[in-house]
Amino acid sequence: MNVQLVGCTHQHASVELRERLAFSVNQATEALAQLRERFPKAEAVLLSTCNRVEVYTAYDEPQAGPTRTDVARFLADFHGLAFHDVFDDLFQCSGEEAIRHLFSVAASLDSMVVGESQISAQVKQAYELAAAQDSVGPLTHQVFQAALRVAKRVASETAINERRVSISSVAVGDFAKNIFERFDDKNILVIGAGEMSEETLRYLKEEGARHVTVVNRNLPRAQELAERWQGRAVAWEELGAALAAADLVVTATGAEEPIVTLADYEQIASKRFQRDLFVLDLAVPRDFDPAIGNCLNVYLYTIEDLRQACERNRQERDRELPRALAIVDQETRQFMAELNHRATAPMIKRLREGWQQVKDDELRRLFNRLPTVDDTLRQEVTQFADRLVNKLLHPPLESLRDEARKGVQHQLLEAFKQLFKLKD
Amino acid sequence: MLSRISITCFAASYAVALLLELTRLWFRSGVRGAAMLAFAGAGLIAHTMFLAYRGLTTSGGIPLSSEFDWYLIAAWALTVVYLYLTVYHPRTAFGPFVLPVVLGLVGIAARFADRTPFPRSQALEVWGMIHGLSLLAGTVAVATGFVGGVMCLVQARRLKHKVAPHSGLQLPSLEWLERLNARAITISMMALAIGFLSGIVLNLVNDRLHVDHLPWSDPIVWSSALLLGWLVAAAGFTWFYRPARQGRKVAYLTVASFLFLVLAVVVRVGLPSVHGGGRSSEASLEPQAEARP
Repeated sequence: MNVQLVGCTHQHASVELRERLAFSVNQATEALAQLRERFPKAEAVLLSTCNRVEVYTAYDEPQAGPTRTDVARFLADFHGLAFHDVFDDLFQCSGEEAIRHLFSVAASLDSMVVGESQISAQVKQAYELAAAQDSVGPLTHQVFQAALRVAKRVASETAINERRVSISSVAVGDFAKNIFERFDDKNILVIGAGEMSEETLRYLKEEGARHVTVVNRNLPRAQELAERWQGRAVAWEELGAALAAADLVVTATGAEEPIVTLADYEQIASKRFQRDLFVLDLAVPRDFDPAIGNCLNVYLYTIEDLRQACERNRQERDRELPRALAIVDQETRQFMAELNHRATAPMIKRLREGWQQVKDDELRRLFNRLPTVDDTLRQEVTQFADRLVNKLLHPPLESLRDEARKGVQHQLLEAFKQLFKLKD
Repeated sequence: MLSRISITCFAASYAVALLLELTRLWFRSGVRGAAMLAFAGAGLIAHTMFLAYRGLTTSGGIPLSSEFDWYLIAAWALTVVYLYLTVYHPRTAFGPFVLPVVLGLVGIAARFADRTPFPRSQALEVWGMIHGLSLLAGTVAVATGFVGGVMCLVQARRLKHKVAPHSGLQLPSLEWLERLNARAITISMMALAIGFLSGIVLNLVNDRLHVDHLPWSDPIVWSSALLLGWLVAAAGFTWFYRPARQGRKVAYLTVASFLFLVLAVVVRVGLPSVHGGGRSSEASLEPQAEARP
């Protein structure tokens, strides 16, 4: 049983190459069909995300699986690229190393942003797609099921997935979601139009936000942004009214002075009936007077607050990493031991059965030649033969088990097959 | 076997579940959630069996037959609320807030509550059942609101100070907690109003039959009236003053409601009353001994 991985990741290959080798879902379906055609005896799973393209194959006979060159040629042919443009940037690993890599990938320990939560879902989708295309088999099934289990274990036993490290994800995931239960009935007010506002808006949209209002000194720009996010644009003069109606404000203008002072806020506060207001002031210098943060039920966060939260999260994530790696290591060793045990079990069974057969035949022959032997003596002789077989088998079987535990039993298995004439 | 179950059995289970909940603050574990549910679930089963056995052996299958039972059933209901919330929101730490209230109610039952069954005639009365059940529902609602209120204040404070959520002590969103608090105030007010009014009817009926009449000046009556008065005011405040329906104000209202409830309990256990047939100073402290046939 062999597992092999050939692919490229953000650690080895440039983003340009990754983009050229990436597979859409339809392309992945087609690629799996082609892989099956080229290597009918190999199981295959294709994992393609923006950070990696990896081809996992598993096979019983070494010659049944594709080599690194085969996979490079396949990828180059599929995407219409030159073989040498692809080959040099591909890495290959097999056996325990490949398993460990997949477990790390699924647990998001090999991601560009360690701990990002999408990767385990992407691994699951890759496996399901391969299963739907009939290109998985017993070994890839075990490996990917184990990988998803490891990802769950890492997520539940460490906080690595919980620690967001980008400003927008921290703002929405760590703070906005602790204020609001849902976002589809909340009024989101965007003041100004910066990259970070849009990034935050993207996270809010993912959480279900529907009512977006954009205010900008430049109305056409506000309209452009509002159109992009299926919102509405209002004139700058209506900022007060929009603020009174808002539940969550994302502001990032280039103003030199605060655009909302405490006095401005106090004017509209009575219209809000002390409803919770979450303000993300992403502007430098600040758009909201810091004193507004002291008002009842107002939660005002500046970009500096969010940066500090990101930094704390990053430190906590780093602290969690060794524990997560230890889990992956432990699970890899356990998986390999089980896999090797499974590989040796049929051999042990065949060997036992073969020797048992010889013993039974010899006992039968002996008792036929000694018909006067009574039952007590028969039992004694039978027990003697059993003990002899067991004692003779014990050392070689123990060696085989030891090697299985260490995970390097291939040569020994072959030797056993030849020595004892064992057939598959 | 049932007679061997004591308060210690389920109180210890709840205490272990609480300790496990508190360990969320220090480390993560893949099995803690299951262990917490197992201990709380085992405690609830023992608690249920204890109440069932008491019901069968001391009050002919009628629940709420003594003040002791009443506190234990309130604790039982809160444990059900805790288990429900923990199963549906496994990452949220409800235990550190709910379980101390559960243990407090069990502690009051064990140490202070009168175990003498209410007079049989009263316990069998429909009005008596309505009275007891409504007050029980009101108490559970006030306690739930209190838990929600404290969680809301902790969460609001955390967000004001811009502290990222602790991975072990995850709390529900402010919006969820505020909704819980507002509902708790309304439900507790309605339940306690029904309980109080049915108590008045019950007392009037008893007065006419010349049995177990409770003086209107009894501490139980005025402390309950005080609690109800506060809840009516709090509910009115949330209905007619919009800012009180959201934010920290509603949390303060639920916490204050609980303080009134605590006052009512203190009055009940601290002052002489003839409610429920009067207090028995010789009430047994060992329930199974009392429960044994």
